[in-house]
Amino acid sequence: MFILILFIIMVLASLFSFAFTDRRREYALIATAIFLIATIVYSTLRFSTGYGSGGFRSESVYNLAPSIGIAFSIGVSGFADALLILSGIVIFIAAFIAGKHEFTQTMYSYIMITEVGLYGILISRDFLFFYIFWEVVLIPVYFMVAQYGGRNKDHVSLKFFVYTHIGSVFLLLAIFTVYAYHYDATGVFTFEIGALMQSKYIDMIPTALRYFAFFGFLFAFLVKMPSFPLHSWLPDTYETSPYPGTVILAGGLSLMGGYGLFGILMPIYSSLGTGILQLLVALGIISLLYFSFTALIQKNLKRMMAFASAGAMGFVTLSFGAGLLEGTKYTASLELAGGMFQIVAHGLIMAMIFTALYFIKISTGKETTYGLGGIYREVPMLSTFLLAGLLASLGLPGLAGFIGEFSILVGSFAAIGWLILLVILGMIVTASYHIWAAQRSLYGPYNENLGKIADLTPSRFAILIGTFAAIFILGIVPNLIYGILVSYVGGII
Amino acid sequence: MTAAIISLSGAQALVTFTPEIFLGLVGFIILALGTFRIEKRIISWISFGALGISAIMVFFLSPVGKSLFNGTFQYSDFGIYFAIVMLLSGMLISYPATRSIKSKSEVFYATLLFVSVGMIFAAFSYNIITLFVAFESVSIGTYVLASFGKSRRNLEGTIKYFFTGTIATAFILFGASFFFLQTGTFNLQVLKSASPSPELLISLVFLIIGFGFKLAIFPMHQWALDAYDGTENSISAYLAAGSKVLAFLVILKIFLVGFSSDFRDVSYLFIILSILTMTYGNVAALSQNNLKRLLAYSSIAQAGYLILVLAVVGFVGNTNSAVVDVAVAAGMFYALVYVFMKGGAFITLNLIKKDNVMISDVSGLAKKSPATAVSFAVMLLALAGVPITGGFFAKYLLFLSLIEGNLWWLAIIAILNSAISVFYYFRIILYMFGKDPIPGESFDMSTSTRVPIYASAFITVALSVVVIWWPSLISMANGLFG
Repeated sequence: MFILILFIIMVLASLFSFAFTDRRREYALIATAIFLIATIVYSTLRFSTGYGSGGFRSESVYNLAPSIGIAFSIGVSGFADALLILSGIVIFIAAFIAGKHEFTQTMYSYIMITEVGLYGILISRDFLFFYIFWEVVLIPVYFMVAQYGGRNKDHVSLKFFVYTHIGSVFLLLAIFTVYAYHYDATGVFTFEIGALMQSKYIDMIPTALRYFAFFGFLFAFLVKMPSFPLHSWLPDTYETSPYPGTVILAGGLSLMGGYGLFGILMPIYSSLGTGILQLLVALGIISLLYFSFTALIQKNLKRMMAFASAGAMGFVTLSFGAGLLEGTKYTASLELAGGMFQIVAHGLIMAMIFTALYFIKISTGKETTYGLGGIYREVPMLSTFLLAGLLASLGLPGLAGFIGEFSILVGSFAAIGWLILLVILGMIVTASYHIWAAQRSLYGPYNENLGKIADLTPSRFAILIGTFAAIFILGIVPNLIYGILVSYVGGII
Repeated sequence: MTAAIISLSGAQALVTFTPEIFLGLVGFIILALGTFRIEKRIISWISFGALGISAIMVFFLSPVGKSLFNGTFQYSDFGIYFAIVMLLSGMLISYPATRSIKSKSEVFYATLLFVSVGMIFAAFSYNIITLFVAFESVSIGTYVLASFGKSRRNLEGTIKYFFTGTIATAFILFGASFFFLQTGTFNLQVLKSASPSPELLISLVFLIIGFGFKLAIFPMHQWALDAYDGTENSISAYLAAGSKVLAFLVILKIFLVGFSSDFRDVSYLFIILSILTMTYGNVAALSQNNLKRLLAYSSIAQAGYLILVLAVVGFVGNTNSAVVDVAVAAGMFYALVYVFMKGGAFITLNLIKKDNVMISDVSGLAKKSPATAVSFAVMLLALAGVPITGGFFAKYLLFLSLIEGNLWWLAIIAILNSAISVFYYFRIILYMFGKDPIPGESFDMSTSTRVPIYASAFITVALSVVVIWWPSLISMANGLFG
């Protein structure tokens, strides 16, 4: 009930934000901060009572059209709860760094609507509403890019929308398939995710159509991740989008793909078959390698980090495939929980990196490695934060990124054997371009063309140290959410 | 005693025609008012009110479950629904039309009301000849409406519309006569079992060509581009919304009721036609820079989605199955949303003062008037089928029925088409939100322009709440088969 009330307040608050003619930033900041705190309070209460088997807590169901199975039904699992906190943090950061002078008032409304969409996806237990919120997220992000984006914004925003929209419509068809065959099997119309996503019903679908449904789901989720062959919207969109938008894209939108895999598809893992899982493992490894090598040759830091983000999500795809291939081995839960942990860690780290890059961009007007250079001399604090973000991103022990990558690596070995060397190669390349970027842009001789630049203001310092604290605490005490994720996996497998 | 006299004289039938008679009377009163030089705004409000009152009359006074003149007119919730939808499309344009009418407004509004009379008749009619007459009375009325305006370009479009319309009429009559040859009656519900005789096939082909012209499906669409492009915006809205819904309704009746439903050829024909129509409309719209022609192409594509209903129903065959009900309900809901999203989109063009509206003319609309820009964007999103608008739910129901009817591949084609359509709808949105206003140009921000835009955008979104009433919509759907 709590989460429903919170969600309704969010919807109303985001609509109400349009009524403000000025001071919308302050309003958005207060609102998103309240949502974040409320989510954390809710989660703490939930965590303390425990999730038991980690399954979904069905909170409330409102039947809208029972005869065709449409209901507004919401519920939160341990995993979804972790992502709720993550999206709360990411959205707050985005609202915080969106400066008053760069953006008009609508920007803050877009950010709040994105939050509504993300929360809606995570709490919906009904496929119809899941799909609606899945699409709702696209629209404000599209407008962010189209209105405030940089070079080529028309072309890029359209490409982003069409690409992800095609993913979505296949998701819709897949949902229909499952829905229609569930009716054939039981005589009941329902869009309830828990009822539809059961292997016993999925297995009854004729093979060709079953694979069509899997294709629909995976296509939609992998576009959002993004995974290797479906990524071409990513670098352009990340680069063109204004920085708050990039933070949302990297921290918020990529979690949608991960949630789709672990939250929607995992319960029917036994129907997926080894073929599909192996394909996912392959895509994960290819993504990691391909994006690492592509990032290596990027000169624009924002674009490089876009590829880094996609590469880190490759770990998630890999962990999903490899973890489920292992079946009931003890490493499976390590691996799967690691994948989910990676989604959370990746969101936080990318939010921090893009925030730091944004502050550098504001101070210097540059975002390329050759345009910067040695800025540590002038802005030591800012440089340190960017370095910290980069180190977290490459998986330095003690920070959140390490926990996810480590458990995935340990777990994968059981499933994929010596192919793990490819993953390690990917990690080495990842580390090298991170270090190279830090070295080239932060250290070395100062690029005197930049002149005098200002270091962090107290408020900017606060947002960076806050995000870093979260990354650091999760790195030291991963069990804050790791235990919950393990019990979530245990409830399903 | 009175009741006995009424029933004796057969006048009881007339009582059920109260809405039609009322509308016709008001039409003549408006014509008379014209001689007193009444202001056109007042006339427009009178006709708005008359259409609204007749919609209420249709809702309350129609004797549901009754049939008149040996089944020529049959009253069901299905017919009431469509009658109200078409009356709503008339109401939608009655206010914005004041803007484009320079003189003789009474003729325009009287014609609008007479056309609406024909629409109500068509909603309840189950006889190929009364359907034809009702349909033709609408067509002739719309020829008159389409010629309102001054420029030569305008007249060219109208003349094209008139000629193709007349030719289509001939095709329809020819098809109807072959229908009579086979069945011995004009009643649509006679043919119960399929026997694909040559007469029936000829009739099918001719009727499809005739009504295909009216619905502007590929390859009978060419007139529509010029007609929509050449006429005033509010009238294009009426042609694209009200008149198209009517054509859709008549097609539903003639091909699904008239030709027995296990007549597979109907399904095959409409599957092919719908694929061609959707794809052609969407692909051709991609390269359009003329905003009005773009919307015209998009309405051709939308007609392709609409006739998917016939494809499913024909494919499933059994009219008692739940899939058929869902499909017809999808068509019903699509028609309702369509009136507001398409009609609203055409009315929005009133914002631009020029004759020849290019996409670049909406540049910077968001900066000058955020509310209208958002409203237009809502309608475009609805046309593209993006959630939280009624347009999404209409498409959603349609694709759901396709999948339940086992037409997977057709659903994929339709959905890919709707993904293509995103391109050109979003191009317009990009111009509105991303570009700066053209210096020296201003938008028409008068009340008669803005209010209908807000209203139709609001209704387009509000219709998504109709989800709750889908079950009753589905239960209405079987009324199609009488």
